Amino acid sequence: MLQLLSSKKHIIENILRIYIKTSGNTLCIDIDPKYDIRQIKNIVAPKIGLEPDELKVIFAGKELADNIVIEDCDLGEQSILHVVKVKEKVPKKINDYGMKPLCEILDDSMFSPISESRNNSISVEANDVAHILNNDTDANITSNQQVLVKKIHFYVYCPTCKGLKQGKLRVRCNFCKSGAFTVHSDPQNWTHVLENKQITGTCENDTQFCEDILQNREPTFAEFYFKCSEHISLGENDQAVPLYLIRPNLKQIQCLACLDISYDAVFVFPCQNDHVMCLDCFKQYCMSKLTERQFWQHPEYGYTLACPNGCADSFIKEIHHFRLLDDQNYDRYHRFATEEFVLQSGGLLCPQPGCGMGILADTDCKRITCQGCKYVFCRLCLQGYHIGECGPIENDDLNNQSTSCESELSCNNGNNGEIASRTTIKIMTKPCPSCKTPTERDGGCMHMICTRAGCKFHWCWVCQTEWTTECMGDHWFG
Amino acid sequence: MANIAAQRIKREFKEVIRSEEVAKCAIKVELVDNNYTELKGEIAGPPDTPYEGGNFVLEIKVPETYPFNPPKVRFITKIWHPNISSVTGAICLDILKDQWAAAMTLRTVLLSLQALLAAAEPDDPQDAVVARQYKENLEMFKLTARHWTNAYAGGPSVNPECDDKIKRLVDMGIEEHQARVALSSYNWDLERATEQLFS
Ligand SMILES: [Zn+2]
Ligand SMILES: [Zn+2]
Ligand SMILES: [Zn+2]
Ligand SMILES: [Zn+2]
Ligand SMILES: [Zn+2]
Ligand SMILES: [Zn+2]
Ligand SMILES: [Zn+2]
Ligand SMILES: [Zn+2]
Repeated sequence: MLQLLSSKKHIIENILRIYIKTSGNTLCIDIDPKYDIRQIKNIVAPKIGLEPDELKVIFAGKELADNIVIEDCDLGEQSILHVVKVKEKVPKKINDYGMKPLCEILDDSMFSPISESRNNSISVEANDVAHILNNDTDANITSNQQVLVKKIHFYVYCPTCKGLKQGKLRVRCNFCKSGAFTVHSDPQNWTHVLENKQITGTCENDTQFCEDILQNREPTFAEFYFKCSEHISLGENDQAVPLYLIRPNLKQIQCLACLDISYDAVFVFPCQNDHVMCLDCFKQYCMSKLTERQFWQHPEYGYTLACPNGCADSFIKEIHHFRLLDDQNYDRYHRFATEEFVLQSGGLLCPQPGCGMGILADTDCKRITCQGCKYVFCRLCLQGYHIGECGPIENDDLNNQSTSCESELSCNNGNNGEIASRTTIKIMTKPCPSCKTPTERDGGCMHMICTRAGCKFHWCWVCQTEWTTECMGDHWFG
Repeated sequence: MANIAAQRIKREFKEVIRSEEVAKCAIKVELVDNNYTELKGEIAGPPDTPYEGGNFVLEIKVPETYPFNPPKVRFITKIWHPNISSVTGAICLDILKDQWAAAMTLRTVLLSLQALLAAAEPDDPQDAVVARQYKENLEMFKLTARHWTNAYAGGPSVNPECDDKIKRLVDMGIEEHQARVALSSYNWDLERATEQLFS
């Protein structure tokens, strides 16, 4: 057989190297992607001393039918097919010839909207997969051609390629982690794929083992995971993170930011309106919100953003989506997230430009030393450390506004009139009295709202304390 | 990196130009530079308000982070309104601050400002003096606002008495706008305005 295979190589144009995992060992075979499952069975059976008819070929949670062609299976170089012996059981159904691979069955449209309501309507019986394709509620998908175009695409962050790549959905037994596992029903939405114990199946690895142990406790569940489809698999542990908010723009929805319609993948916000942004705009959105420190430290999800249209409950749960940022900005994201954490734990940030290290220091002590840049500063005014009361903030040519970080300073020595009528108002920054984030005033009134998400403290630029009605009356505009 | 702000403004600009409001002369926008970073807006004073008949010019600055942040808008035309600073033209409107949403456009901003002229929100004021007058003496407020519309926005002339009082102060050597501010702030009480100006 090997002889035959190698002699055949001359006429095979594309060789695909795959692994066949049987209960005992793993075989490596080179095949033509045009081979069908029957041919694979014919090759493998004699090597393990069985008849082709005694074999089941399992891939991505499905037993593959004999007439399935390998190249339709979304099977990359060095992928693993599982081959198990058929149990001496009566077939479950007369037409139980196995199934189409998962990638053929899943339909993009059922994964597109995140809204659960639309997905719940589809219920599929075990093995009854043929119906799913036609079960789409969108009226315009009828012709075969369109169904082909609509082949599902998953996007992942690949730690090996270090970037956004197309991914492949894979299935294994959630108990023994074996890939020799067939699902009882297909996943219908992202919840089925991302959350634990949603879809049951049969573990074909060591049926007795998994079933016996789990008996009377729970059924064997499928565990879904993703692989990068753009590098050769480095084995079963080579996984990728699903970036499930990135989807093909099937409904051709306009980008919320640039108003273009992207024909590539887009970012779909987890909001009721399914707002969409093209990936370039999404990156810009992240970068500008990062610079403004408008990311939100969410107790469960981490440092994240919501839909820029202000939709309710629209936080991005999977923060790996921010891996779309380039390395420099992703580093910044990490640094800011850490700093935000420090701030929330009652610490403060080093005011030295370019440093900004998070410092957790004793609250009684006014003298703070930054461990990063060794800057020694005053906790109250964030200026270089000094003894005694804080002085006016040094500010190039505009020192006439007597500002002090001490809260005792009353609002009443304000300077109405002159300053308000001054046409040029110098841009400068002062620390937010609540969280010490440097805040810029760009003209307008003295009523400041801290730009840091999670603070939003209302304060007075003149008094550097909380904004009051006195401030409004005395020095609103200067 | 593609400049989203410019691309977006370009599209919105076309949207405004084609809008029915422009056809009805209710709003207008013009480019100030070629980079789509600064625009000049114009809104007509809504009917049945003290601003009727006036044309109000707006400065619109588009930040680099548009549309993730709101445009910076202020009135160039001087206006007497509780939510607009009579000094700087700064506007107090939630959608230009924390209620901004990325799907909003130049058109929605201009229409919202027009709506603000029709319905002030004196409890969230930008100009405390105007807001106080609005709450304590609505008729006086309407008179003053109409007077400012006439003086700065090309609205119809209304009350010759106001013009006379301003002229009196100007004759005393006070600059016209300063005189108008003082009189407006003191409910057109010439004595008190004079006192304040010369104190
Ligand atoms: Zn990869
Ligand atoms: Zn198992
Ligand atoms: Zn876009
Ligand atoms: Zn949304
Ligand atoms: Zn430092
Ligand atoms: Zn100090
Ligand atoms: Zn703050
Ligand atoms: Zn104050």
